[in-house]
Amino acid sequence: MNRIKKILLVLLVAFIAIQFVQPARNTSVHVLSTDISKTISVPENVHAILQTACYDCHSNNTSYPWYNYTQPAAWILANHIKNGKKDLNFSEFGSYPKRRQQSKLKAIADQVRDGEMPLYSYSIIHKNARLTKEEKLVIINWAQNEKDSLGKINP
Amino acid sequence: MKTIIAISAVILAIAFTACNSGSSKQTNNADSTQTQAVATTATSATNKTNPFEGILTGYLNLKNSLAADNGNDAAKSGQEILDALSKFDASALTPGQKKVFLSLVGDIKENSEHINENGNKIEHQREHFEMLSKDMTDLVKSVATNKTLYLDSCPMYDKGNGTWLSETKEIKNPYLGKRMDTCGAIKETIKN
Repeated sequence: MNRIKKILLVLLVAFIAIQFVQPARNTSVHVLSTDISKTISVPENVHAILQTACYDCHSNNTSYPWYNYTQPAAWILANHIKNGKKDLNFSEFGSYPKRRQQSKLKAIADQVRDGEMPLYSYSIIHKNARLTKEEKLVIINWAQNEKDSLGKINP
Repeated sequence: MKTIIAISAVILAIAFTACNSGSSKQTNNADSTQTQAVATTATSATNKTNPFEGILTGYLNLKNSLAADNGNDAAKSGQEILDALSKFDASALTPGQKKVFLSLVGDIKENSEHINENGNKIEHQREHFEMLSKDMTDLVKSVATNKTLYLDSCPMYDKGNGTWLSETKEIKNPYLGKRMDTCGAIKETIKN
């Protein structure tokens, strides 16, 4: 018993120690000229959905939850954001080649339709990231239309 | 005592999930370093076979795997395209061809990566195959190949947007697979 107690104590100390290792925060108040809203047409209602349900992991500005102040939760979160931004960053959408922009818009429509995005694990905690059927349709239709009009300019 | 045990259990659980997500990240890193390494050797290599044919062969293998509903083989062909891409020597292209190639290469790479990583999700592979096919069509029209290719389309997949390149006149639908493998028609014949 004494030994278990010691191990647990070590774990507890380790848990407290890692609290001091905070990952860099992904926040930026500047809206870049490459932001998607400055590149293609993004209606108000679409932009609102993107901001609540997507921007936390797919932009340069995350709205952090309370648990980001505890480790290793913040590390996991930082990793999610890193991977999310690698695949799609709405803040830098304008810097993608035109073909990649079209690919991304298609992927947005596909992923939302298939229920792959927003991530299930993310929407458990972020209730307002759970998209209703109507919201999904708004995103899908918008992404498809924008992809088609990009295709017409750059076939 | 009980509370310490409870706290420790929670910590362990969190640490465990953190480790898991860490390992998946590592494979991504390995991929990118690998492609970088090959890219630097590309200029010195003088391959007998045109590396562009490698990209095309990978694509056609991918198309046939999808038509046979085989996601694992499709994933391997995704890697084949990535390997051929990293060996591709863009300096042999004319300025016009190079411009087309550079505008497409990032998208081809990304779509191939997703296809490579999703061997168990064939419908997801097909979504990426659709954009990849568009890229490949533009590429073969710009960079010559000695093969005759057929551009096929099927009205039953993504409102007819689902096109693909084929080396044979016979229709084998890579989007619907065995469910509807003869759906489609030749839209265009590409001869170089």
